[in-house]
Amino acid sequence: MNKTTKGLFLFLSILLFVFLGQLGYLFATQSVTQEAKEKKQLFVSLTSLPDLAIATEADYVRHRSMSDYFSLFKEGPLLREYFVSTYLYAPSTQYFTARSYEK
Amino acid sequence: MRNRINFYLLEYVLHSLWRQKSKTLFIGLVLTLLIFLLSALFFIASSIKHELAQSVDALPEITVQKLQGGKHTNIPSSAVDTILSIHGVEDAIARVWGYYYFQKAGVPFVLVGVDPFEEQYKKSLQKIVDNYEISSQEQMLVGRGVYEIFKEHHYEESFNFIKSDGSLYTLPIAGVFTETIELESNDMIILSKQSAREIFAMDADMATDIVVKVANPEEIAMVASKIQLAFPDARIITKEALQISYANIIDYKSGVFLSLFIVSLFTFFMIIYDKLSGLSTQERREIGILKALGWRVELILKEKFYEAALLSFVSYLVGVSVALFYVYILHAPLLRNIFEGYSVLRSSFHLPFVLDFQTLALLFFLSIPLYVAASIIPSWRVATQEADEVMR
Repeated sequence: MNKTTKGLFLFLSILLFVFLGQLGYLFATQSVTQEAKEKKQLFVSLTSLPDLAIATEADYVRHRSMSDYFSLFKEGPLLREYFVSTYLYAPSTQYFTARSYEK
Repeated sequence: MRNRINFYLLEYVLHSLWRQKSKTLFIGLVLTLLIFLLSALFFIASSIKHELAQSVDALPEITVQKLQGGKHTNIPSSAVDTILSIHGVEDAIARVWGYYYFQKAGVPFVLVGVDPFEEQYKKSLQKIVDNYEISSQEQMLVGRGVYEIFKEHHYEESFNFIKSDGSLYTLPIAGVFTETIELESNDMIILSKQSAREIFAMDADMATDIVVKVANPEEIAMVASKIQLAFPDARIITKEALQISYANIIDYKSGVFLSLFIVSLFTFFMIIYDKLSGLSTQERREIGILKALGWRVELILKEKFYEAALLSFVSYLVGVSVALFYVYILHAPLLRNIFEGYSVLRSSFHLPFVLDFQTLALLFFLSIPLYVAASIIPSWRVATQEADEVMR
């Protein structure tokens, strides 16, 4: 094994170390702890409302599952993709799935 | 291991990559960028999914909303008694909640009326609220984002809500929700049901909707159908439907991104394949010389395999490492805009880290084997020809 190959192994080792080190660091510091999980569940059980406060520009985006047919169309039926986040946060299809128990 | 790796061949590969450094660098950069973008989106999607899955357990089993002309309207609180009489229902609570648009900032807040300011709730509230100081029913708890907006508009101690008749309704701020629950509480205001009714101009015997708790999960569908029978104009939302909805949103939407990126990945591999199919005279001559020197086809292919595997593996490691740093340390600047849309009220986007081996494996198999195949096949075509034919 000459100098170049040794250099390659050293480079790959550093990359692997950075990758695994980062995974370990994030796992240790940014994972959800049991305490945090309990706090989140406590808050959700207090409000009983679903969804996250990430997209908050309109109520049909904020609480898709709770919004009605008209929430979708109140900006005009053709403006469904008016907000960028509706691309990721589509209104729920829950109405149809919730009725599936009737079948 | 030592016996399996041909170090002389590896040295040759390194020199070969170095000889074509501009090509190596360009392919490496493009592949790294593709892997970075794809993995960043996957990480965001899996973190949001994880966060949603955690909170869904705490939600009530059934939500009952009254519809009138297809529009959601207030439901009489007396419906609670009818629902409670259904066998299998553990509890039913009339809920008062809605949106309050703060015009000055252009921000909609979510107002949730609860009756938690009683003694038994205080202990649990203290866990999720910083500087908790509830002394009366006429107070409110606010999310961090709401508090920031209040401060920007000089409402540091209390806020004046404008009621439907135009008069003001002032509520003092009793505490701010802790940072841990920011993703859930950022735009929320918790206040007493009485205050919520006052702001929304709602009658005391009306509620926004009713949440129903069912002890036995097997009975949810039956209870839901009985509620539907009792209230034909109601919309019944079950927890199961919410879970399906979550799965639809995250899987489907991140799937759309995946398909877009698969298109770009395949375009990239097609370009590589196309370029390598018409190997340059230099590269063809190189293979020809190697064959004339006595290299077997398998050795040439091994050399090409080392070359492609090394380049794609380094790109994978760099791409995923940068994506991890970008999403969880820098909180995904620019890319988060896709998720947040035009929201004025933005959270700090502190997503929980989820070690998802499935995502890492998917990215690995999407990038490395495809690139290796795209570069080996054209080389194999050339290497199987006679040496003099290749060099001619």
